[in-house]
Amino acid sequence: MGEPGRKTEIGSGRQGDAEVRAARRPASRGLFRPVVIAVPYLWLVGLFLVPFLIVIKISLSQTAVAMPPYRPTFGDPSTWWSALQQLSFDNYLWIAGDELYFNAYVLSLAIAAASTLLTLLIAYPLAYGMSKAPPAWRTTLLMLVILPFWTSFLIRVYAWIAILKPEGLLNQLLMSIGVIHDPLVILNTPVAIFIGIVYSYLPFMTLPIYAGLDRMDHSLIEAAADLGSPPLKAFWTITFPLSLRGVVAGCFLVFIPAAGEFVIPDLLGGSRTLMIGKTVWLEFFTNRDWPVASAVAVVLVAILVVPIVIFQRQQARAG
Amino acid sequence: MKSLGSIRRDFAPWLDRGAAPFIRFEGVTKRFGDFEAVDDLSLDVFEKEFFALLGGSGCGKSTLLRMLAGFETPTKGRIVLDGEDLSGIPPYRRPVNMMFQSYALFPHMSVEKNIAFGLRQEGMARSEIADRVGQVLKLVKLEDYARRKPDQLSGGQRQRVALARSLAKRPKVLLLDEPLGALDKKLREETQFELADLQHQLGITFIMVTHDQEEAMTLADRIAVMDRGRIMQVATPAEIYEAPNSRFVADFVGNVNLFEGTVRSVEGDRAVIETDAGLTIAVVSEAKLGTSQKVSYVLRPEKLKIAADPIPGPNAMAGEVWDIAYFGPVTAFHVRLDNGATVKVSMVNATRQGALQLTWHDRAFVQFDEDAGLVLTQ
Repeated sequence: MGEPGRKTEIGSGRQGDAEVRAARRPASRGLFRPVVIAVPYLWLVGLFLVPFLIVIKISLSQTAVAMPPYRPTFGDPSTWWSALQQLSFDNYLWIAGDELYFNAYVLSLAIAAASTLLTLLIAYPLAYGMSKAPPAWRTTLLMLVILPFWTSFLIRVYAWIAILKPEGLLNQLLMSIGVIHDPLVILNTPVAIFIGIVYSYLPFMTLPIYAGLDRMDHSLIEAAADLGSPPLKAFWTITFPLSLRGVVAGCFLVFIPAAGEFVIPDLLGGSRTLMIGKTVWLEFFTNRDWPVASAVAVVLVAILVVPIVIFQRQQARAG
Repeated sequence: MKSLGSIRRDFAPWLDRGAAPFIRFEGVTKRFGDFEAVDDLSLDVFEKEFFALLGGSGCGKSTLLRMLAGFETPTKGRIVLDGEDLSGIPPYRRPVNMMFQSYALFPHMSVEKNIAFGLRQEGMARSEIADRVGQVLKLVKLEDYARRKPDQLSGGQRQRVALARSLAKRPKVLLLDEPLGALDKKLREETQFELADLQHQLGITFIMVTHDQEEAMTLADRIAVMDRGRIMQVATPAEIYEAPNSRFVADFVGNVNLFEGTVRSVEGDRAVIETDAGLTIAVVSEAKLGTSQKVSYVLRPEKLKIAADPIPGPNAMAGEVWDIAYFGPVTAFHVRLDNGATVKVSMVNATRQGALQLTWHDRAFVQFDEDAGLVLTQ
C-alpha cells in the first residue's frame, strides 16, 4: 500500500480515538468534577475566609459607642474611601504595648505545649496497646476511644468540675481511703486545665498514632529481633521512628486547638489563669472592645499559622 | 537401591554415620489453640547443608522455621543448634538470621543502614561495620545503591538487600522464608543460581522454606517434604523425585501417573500388577512383593515412550491422544488407552518436527520398561 493509503489509516485512527474518548467521558461528568471541587472551596471561602477578613477589618477599626461598636463602617459606598483612610494598626500597637497580652500568649502556648506533651505520653501507650491487642478487640477499643464524643463536650467539662472540686469525687475518694486528710485544691488551678485538655483531646492524639502503628508491618519488629535487637531497642529504632508521622499529626491536632482553648480554662482554670481565648472573650463581652478582641484573635491565628505550615510541609514531604 | 546423589558432588554428610547433626529438631510439636501446626517432628540438618522444607500452605514448614528463629516457642520438644539447646533463648540472642518473605526492610533506613543494623546491635566498631557492609553489598552486587531507601529499589534489588542484611552478621544458619517467592519467573531463575553459588561460597548452613518444588529441587542438597505438621520424606532432590516413599510425595513432587493395583504374580524381583483401571503391568521391584498384595505404581510421564506406530518391548499399550500441551522443550500428552485408563506421557522435543507428528484424536502407542516406575507397598 502506498502513501495515500497510509494517510487514511492514520486519519481514521485519530477519528477512532476521539470517538473512544467521547464515549468514555459523558457530558454530565464534565460538570461533575468542577462542582465537587467547588463545594469545599465555597465552604472555606464562605465560612472561613470571609469571616476572617471581617475580623481583620474590625481589628483595624476603632472602638466606638455605637451599634456595631466600632468605626468606621462600610455602609454607604460614597464614604468608602474616607472609611478606608480611618483604618489603622493602633490596636496591634496597643496589644504589643501591654504586657498582659504578651503574657496571655506565652501562657497559652506554654499550656498548649505542655498538655500536648502530656497527651502524647498517655496516648502513645494507649495507641500502642490497641495496635497490639487481638484483632477481634481492636474495633471495640477504637469505639471506646471515640465514645466520649457521643456526649456534649461542655457536659464532659462540667463533669470534671464535679470530680475535681474540693468536695468532689476525687477528694472524697482519696480521703476515704486515707491517702490525704485535707482536700486537694485542683479546680481553678493550671493542673485542672491540663487535666481538662488532656482528657478532651486524647482521642485526637490516639487515633492518628494508632492508625500509624496499625499499618506497620509486624515482620519489621521480628526482623529487628532477628538481627539482635532486644524489644525495647527495637521499639526505639524501628517502631517509634515509623510512627512519627502519626505522632506529629496528633501533636498538631492537639496543640493548635489547645492554644486557643477557651471553655476548659474558663470552667476549670478559674480567673487567675488568663489564656488567650479568655482574653478575647473578656475584650469582646466585658470591655465591648471588638477591635482589640479581633486584633488579639488575628495575632493568635498568625502565631498558629506557622506550625500549621510546618505541619503541612512535613506531611507533604512524608507523602 | 543405589543412592541418588546430592546436587553437590561428594557432599553427603547425612550418609556419614559418624557426622554430628548441626541442627536437631527433637520431637518438636507446636499447637496454636486446637490447631497442630507441627506434630512431633524430628529432623537433623548438617553443617553447610542447603536444606529445603517443602510443602503446601499450612503444612507447618514456616512454623518450623519460625521456631528455629525464636519467633515461636515449641509446645513440646526442643531444638538444638551446634550443640546448644535453643529453648528459652530469645530471637535476638540466637546465632541465626532470617530472610523474610516480605523482606521486612526498614523503610526509614537506607540500604547500608539496613545492612548495618544487625552489626550495630553487636556493638561492632564503626570502621569494621563499614567494611562488612561494603563486603556484603559487593557480594549481592548492590555497591551503587548503598544510600537508596528501600522504596527506591526494584523488587529484585530489595530481595538482594534482604539477603545481604541477613548475611551481614555471618550467622551460623541462614533461614530463608520463600526467598524467591516475590520475584518474577525470569528473575527467580537467575537468582536461584546466584543463591546456590553464594551458599557454596560462604559455607553457611541454609534452611529454606518453599512451596515451589522447582525451587527446592534446584537449590537444596536435601528436601524435607511436609504435610500437616509432619515430615513425609527427607531425601535428596533426585531421591524425592525418582524414589518417593509414599503416594503423597510422589503426587506432590512433579507430575505422575499413579495406579492402584494388585500383585498377580511374582517371580524373583519381577512381578505383574493388575491395576484397578484394568491395565496389566510388568514391573521390576526392589521391594519384596507377595501375590494379591495391594500396591501403588508410580510412573513419571517422561518414563513412557509415545509414537504413532506400535513400539516393541514390555508394557506396550495403544490408545487415543486426548489432550496435548506443548511446553517448548517437552510436549505433554494425555492418552486414553483402549481399556479406558488415561496416562500422562511427556515427550522431549528432540527434533523440531517431533511434536507435530501426533495430534488430537490420533491413534497413539505408548510403552514403558519394567523398571520405569516404582512400586509402593504402603
